[in-house]
Amino acid sequence: MVRVARKNELLPGTLEMLILQTLTRSPMHGYGIAQQIQQISEDVLQVEEGSLYPALQRLLVKGWVKSEWGLSENNRRARYYTLTKAGRNQLGIEADNFNRMIAAIARVMQTA
Amino acid sequence: MSRIAESWRKLQFLLRRRQMDKELAEEMRLHAELKAQKNIAAGMQPDEAQMAARRQLGNTTLQQEHSRANWGFPRLESLVQDVRYGLRGLRNRPGFSAVAILTLALGIGSATAIFSVVNAIILRPLPYKNSQHLVHLWSLNTAFPEFHMGMSLPNLDEVKAQTHSFEAFAPYKTKRGTLTGEGAPERVVISSVSSDFFSVFSARPLLGRTFEPADDQQKNGDVVVLSHTLWRRRFASDPHILGRVIHLDQKARTVVGVMPAGFTFPETSEAWTTLTPSAEELRNRTQWMFFTVARLRPAVSPAAAQSELNTLAEAMKTRYAEDMAGTNFLLTTLHDDAVGSSRSQLLVLLAAVGFLLLIACANVSNLVLARGLQRRHEIAVRAALGASRSRVMRQLGIENLVLALAGGAVGLVLAAYGVSAFRQLAPADFPRLDELRIEPLMAIFALLISTTSGVLFGLAPALTVSRTDPGTAMKPRGIENPTHARGFSLRDALVVIELALAMLLLTGSALMVQSMSRLLKVDTGLRTDHLVTAELNLPPARYSSENSQVAFIRQLLESLAAQGPISDIAVSNNAVLDQNTSLISFDPSLNGSNEKKTNLESKMVSPGYFSTLGLHLINGRFFDEHDTKGASIMIIVNQSLANRFFPGQNLVGRSLRFSGEGKDQYTVVGVVSDSRDIHVSAKPRPEVYFSLLQDPSRSLYVMVRSRLEMPAVRALLEKSVWAVDKDQPVSKVRTMAEVIAESVADRRFRTWLMSAFAVFGLSLTLIGIYCVISYSVSQRTHEMGIRMAIGASRENVLGLVLSSGARLAAFGALTGLVASFLMMRVLSNQLYDIKPNDPLTLIGTALLLLLVALLASYVPARRATRVDPMVALRYE
Repeated sequence: MVRVARKNELLPGTLEMLILQTLTRSPMHGYGIAQQIQQISEDVLQVEEGSLYPALQRLLVKGWVKSEWGLSENNRRARYYTLTKAGRNQLGIEADNFNRMIAAIARVMQTA
Repeated sequence: MSRIAESWRKLQFLLRRRQMDKELAEEMRLHAELKAQKNIAAGMQPDEAQMAARRQLGNTTLQQEHSRANWGFPRLESLVQDVRYGLRGLRNRPGFSAVAILTLALGIGSATAIFSVVNAIILRPLPYKNSQHLVHLWSLNTAFPEFHMGMSLPNLDEVKAQTHSFEAFAPYKTKRGTLTGEGAPERVVISSVSSDFFSVFSARPLLGRTFEPADDQQKNGDVVVLSHTLWRRRFASDPHILGRVIHLDQKARTVVGVMPAGFTFPETSEAWTTLTPSAEELRNRTQWMFFTVARLRPAVSPAAAQSELNTLAEAMKTRYAEDMAGTNFLLTTLHDDAVGSSRSQLLVLLAAVGFLLLIACANVSNLVLARGLQRRHEIAVRAALGASRSRVMRQLGIENLVLALAGGAVGLVLAAYGVSAFRQLAPADFPRLDELRIEPLMAIFALLISTTSGVLFGLAPALTVSRTDPGTAMKPRGIENPTHARGFSLRDALVVIELALAMLLLTGSALMVQSMSRLLKVDTGLRTDHLVTAELNLPPARYSSENSQVAFIRQLLESLAAQGPISDIAVSNNAVLDQNTSLISFDPSLNGSNEKKTNLESKMVSPGYFSTLGLHLINGRFFDEHDTKGASIMIIVNQSLANRFFPGQNLVGRSLRFSGEGKDQYTVVGVVSDSRDIHVSAKPRPEVYFSLLQDPSRSLYVMVRSRLEMPAVRALLEKSVWAVDKDQPVSKVRTMAEVIAESVADRRFRTWLMSAFAVFGLSLTLIGIYCVISYSVSQRTHEMGIRMAIGASRENVLGLVLSSGARLAAFGALTGLVASFLMMRVLSNQLYDIKPNDPLTLIGTALLLLLVALLASYVPARRATRVDPMVALRYE
């Protein structure tokens, strides 16, 4: 899945949430998304390509992103993904869930 | 809503799969390139950079596959794939497939056919609204409780007043009457009913109206409602039929309505008139002539209504002691009346066919298991490639389902044939036969049992085979389970039972077929070739005096004789070979014989009767035209009568006394040969003939012989009759061959059924033996190889396998013989001229069974001999 430095298991669906978040700013192609996540997380989160493309396909099927072909920075054909309105909604939902989850885990850890 | 949109997108991706593939591949290539560029920028060599990039990208194939999983509906697709594998597997093994499909088709087909019959006749409610509330009311006398009589009108009034279980009552009477007017006179079934009769059934008319209370008092004149069949046949579905006047039994009636197709209650009514009871019928409590249908109130059960009737009957016995002595009321549901005795027969059939289906499933289970064990290698490869046990089981399950559905499809076709055959061969009085059709429900039922069978027979093999450990299965063939001791396994026991059952069915069928053929060859003592019969019923109103009846008969004989193509003419008051007769009581002691008082067959016949039917004159003479009214009454007796009561004596000219009263004395003018004129299976009885011209009757049966075809003869008959009386209907015109065929229709039907089951049972058994021997051979391949290597010849191996088959067959035949011996006497009252334990039949069927069993073992036996010892030994 998403490989953290310590090879932890993350909650399922996190990758998709991260992808959606990355697309809020501007459309991107697959490689760009992976790079972005890596950079912003300061190399903690490294997206395995094996999970990236299946995740992108899932998002396409669910209608949370849409894709179109365009030209990349170095004039190569690349597929750009854009967030849809439904995707934006979904991102909100997932972010809320995620935050609630994190807060709960934090509470448990504090009482230890 | 989003689900639908999602599925829609999945579908689109599925359809554009190839394009999506290309795009994804291109996307991933770009990704690899960009990564490589990044590596080069970080300082790696170009090709090293590319390789590193590709390695990081990982297993592209797997990724593509995961991505692809999002396109379309993966579970559905793997299902479709399994189905395709299943079909391909069936195609590749035609022998196995054919046998398995045939077995299933037999089981499923027969089950579906019998289910259809049971559904149409027993399960389906009658074609009236809320028919479960419709009941029949009867009166019965405790001395003869099986004889159900109708209600009397005063009693019906009591029931109406004193009980609370019923909503409505409809008394009726049925008779046969004459319809005259334009066109040929016809005999029709007429029911006289009360004005609320139709509302009891909630039956609406197709045209016009049914009866209303005013019709009871005939305020609207004499009215009639027609049935759909009569309207279509006689009046060509005339839309302006309402208001027309027709003549029933010489009475003019106006048509006020036509019923829709399918409504013919009671029996096969063709017209309904109003019930006009006479003053006597209204008053007399013991005229039990009115059959009555009633509707129960919605919440009342038949049992509750019956107990209410019982209470009433008791109360009425005190009030009307004389009229109600020994009388009780009985209530039956209309449904039970319709279905009647056929219920037990059909349920037995259903059980038998269920059994057949189970045996078929067991057979196919064996086959599938044997095949599955042959495929262990293939299954092991699948497991090694990553298929889980459940995935393997699912695949096997679907293959079995495909097999079952294929068998079901063939079975459905067989069932359709079976149902139409049932309709044609069942005796005409089988209840509700006209409601039996080929219908879509059969397909649904077939689908259901196919699926169930598929699960049933597939479960055990799938469980066993999917447990294949890839390791052991991948080892080369030969190192398999060592041959277990050849004991008597469950499979063997099953086959022996199948054999015994098949033997039972075969014996029964053989006995019945022989019985039937002997019956049809019996010498009735009558000439029945080229004979056509018809029934005439002279209406009492116009033929009340015996003189008028004699006049009609004479004129009819003349009219018939004037027809050139008619060679022989006979008229009688009783049908011949139609299970009909009259009896007359005879006291032999009044005539010097020591025999006890008894009943004799009696018939009134025309002079030409004896020669037409081929009876021989033994002594004296036949009747002639001079034996008319006024002269003393002549009789002719048959040989049986003479030999039984007056052996060795000459009866011609003697006067016989029939009873103590004075007038009952008749002169014998002739003795004729015996005949079986009641039924082909009934032995000749002592019989006495009277001359129809001396002792006429209103019910007449005409028999004529002609070389012409039936329609021409019918036309001649009608012409002759109508020349005498243009309003006299000519009914039931049939050839004598048809009459005889109908008289044995019951028996023929049962023979046919029994034979069908016997053929099925035998086929299934054949397959069963094949399966078992086949399986054991496939288990013992290694052993066979060793045997042949150390010197056994092909014949030895053949003999070895055949002997195991013969052992099963012997056990089965023996069990079957014992069972037949014990159970065949069940059939004894159905058999004609052949004993249930006929030794030839028993031995014959046992031999047939042994032959069949050996044949079934032969094919796998031959396969065993073709084992190459080298291959078998190679992995020793």
